[in-house]
Amino acid sequence: MLFFQQLRGELRKLFARPRTWMGYGAFILMEAVILFVYKLDRSQAYMHAMLERNGLDFGTYYSSLSITFTIMLLSMFLLGSIYFALVAGDIVAKENEDGNLRMVFARPISRLRLLLVKYAAVSLYTFTFVFFVGVSGYAMAVAAVGWKGGLFVMEPKMKVFAAYSDWWEGAGRLAMSAGGIGVSMITLSSIAFMFSCFKIKPAAATIVTLTILFVDMILQGFPFFKPYESWFITWRMSAWVFIMEPQISWPKIVESYAFLFGLNVTLFTLGWISFQSRDFKT
Amino acid sequence: MLVASELSKKFGGKSALSGVSFHVKRGEIYGLLGHNGAGKSTSLGVILGMVMPDSGDVTIDGISVLRDRSRALRKVGAIFESPAFYDYLSGWDNLKILMSYSGGFDATAARVVVERVGLSRRIHSKVRTFSHGMRQRLALAQALLPEPEVLLLDEPTDGLDPEGIKWFREFILKLRDERGMTVLFNSHLLAEVELMCDRVAILREGKRVFEGSIGSIQDDTRWFEVDFEPWGIACGLVHSAGGEVRAVGRISLPATVDPAGLIETLVRAGVRIRGFSPMRRSLEDLYMEILNGAGSPN
Repeated sequence: MLFFQQLRGELRKLFARPRTWMGYGAFILMEAVILFVYKLDRSQAYMHAMLERNGLDFGTYYSSLSITFTIMLLSMFLLGSIYFALVAGDIVAKENEDGNLRMVFARPISRLRLLLVKYAAVSLYTFTFVFFVGVSGYAMAVAAVGWKGGLFVMEPKMKVFAAYSDWWEGAGRLAMSAGGIGVSMITLSSIAFMFSCFKIKPAAATIVTLTILFVDMILQGFPFFKPYESWFITWRMSAWVFIMEPQISWPKIVESYAFLFGLNVTLFTLGWISFQSRDFKT
Repeated sequence: MLVASELSKKFGGKSALSGVSFHVKRGEIYGLLGHNGAGKSTSLGVILGMVMPDSGDVTIDGISVLRDRSRALRKVGAIFESPAFYDYLSGWDNLKILMSYSGGFDATAARVVVERVGLSRRIHSKVRTFSHGMRQRLALAQALLPEPEVLLLDEPTDGLDPEGIKWFREFILKLRDERGMTVLFNSHLLAEVELMCDRVAILREGKRVFEGSIGSIQDDTRWFEVDFEPWGIACGLVHSAGGEVRAVGRISLPATVDPAGLIETLVRAGVRIRGFSPMRRSLEDLYMEILNGAGSPN
C-alpha cells in the first residue's frame, strides 16, 4: 500500500513538470504533421499505387487504422526514443543535481526501494504514453478520414506484411501492438534509468542512451551483422511487429520479450549497484 | 540516543573524518562546530546513511544506521541549509511526497504541524514562490511530521534574517523542553550555538578537537579586558603574577591570583591602567583558540 503511495507521489512529480506536458504537445504536433503528409495528393497516389500492386483496395486500407499504425511507428522512432530517454535519464540524476535526493535520504527508505518506485513510475509512464499516442493518433485519423476501413501493415525491416479488412480484427491487432511497443520502450527507459543512477549529469544519461540505441540500430543495418541481428537491442525491441503477422508467432515474440526482460533486470541491477555504493554529500 | 563511534571517511585520498566520536544524550541539544570542510556535513551524511564511512558506526536509540538504516531513521527528522524541495509542487504536495517515504501521510497531523510552523496560509502555493524563511519553515514541517525523537539540523539558520533566527531558536528550544527532543545542531553561527546547545564538539580537519558543555567554557580561569601602557612591561608582570596574556587587551588569571594585587604591582611598576574589567569567555573565544592551535584535542 505504501509502495503505491510512493508511486503516486513519483507520478505526481512527473506530471507536475511543464516538460511532461510539452512532451504530449510535441507528440500531438507530430501526429498532425504525419496526418497532413498522409492527406497530400502525392502521398495518397503513392499509397494507392502500393496497395494496388499488392492487390489491395485503396478504399478499404487507406484508413484511420493504417494511419494510426504509421503514426505510432514513426512518432515512436523519431520522437519517442528521445522523449523516453529524457524522462528516464532525469528521474534520478536530476533529483540528485537539484538536491532533492538529500531530502529523500533523510527518510527511512532504502535506496533499493527508492529506485524500485522510480523505475515503476518511469515504466508505467512509458507504457501508458504509447497508448496515448495510439489513441490520440487514432482520434486525429478518424477526424481526417473517418473510422471505417481495415488495417494495412508493412514493416520491411522485420519482414512483416499484413492486411486486415475487418475493422475489429485490425483494431485488436493495433491495440495489442501498442502494448508491445509500450513494453519495448521500457527497455529504452531502462537504459536511460541505469545511466541516471550513475554519477553523471541528467543530460549525459540521455545522450549516452540515445547514442547506444543509434549505434545499435546502425550496426544492425550492416550486412555482415545480419546473422547476429537477434543480439541487437533494437531488433528485439521491434518484436512487437510480429503481433501484426496473420499467424502470430508467439515463440518469436516471447523469446524477444524474455531477452528484453532479462536486459531490463540487468540494467536495473547495474544502476542499483552504482547507486547503492555512492556517497551523497549533504 | 545518538552515538557516533570512531567515524573515518576519506574522499579521494583526502581525510574528511578521522576517528570522530560523539554521544548525544536524550533530550540534549548538541552542537557540532567547525570551519568549512571540517567534517560537520560529512558527519551528518554518515548519520543519515548518505555517506558510507570507511570505518566506525552510528547508532540511533541503539540501532545501527549502517546495518538497519530504515529502522534507525524511523524517528529522525533532518533539516539542511537551503533545503531543496520540488519547486514546481505546492508545499502541501511536497509534504505528501516526503511523508510517503516515512510511513505514510496523515493530513490531520500535517495540518497541525503546518499551523505550528506558521505556514498555513501559503502551504498550497508552489514552493518556487516561497522566501528562504518560508522554505526553512517548510523544512521544519517535513522534519517534524514523522514525530521524530531526534532532529538533525545542518546550518538551518544560514541566510535567515535576525527575526527568523530568533524564531527558529525559540522553536527548537521549545521542542526540546516540551517533547524532550534530542537535537544535533550543525552550524558555524557560534552565538546561536551558544544560546541553544547544552554541549558542543569542535571539529578541525576531520578530527574532534574539543567536546564539552557550554558551561565548561566558563572554567575556573577569570578573564579580563584590559588596557595597559606600556603593554610589553605589563605583559611581563601579568606572567610573573601567574596570569596569561590571551590576546592584545585580554588576559586571564587563575582563581588563586587576586586582581587587586596585580593592579597594585602594575601601578608600582609605572604601568598606566586605562581599563581593567572582568569579561565572560565566549564560545567564540574558545573556538578561535582551538582553531588557532591553542586548544588541545580531548
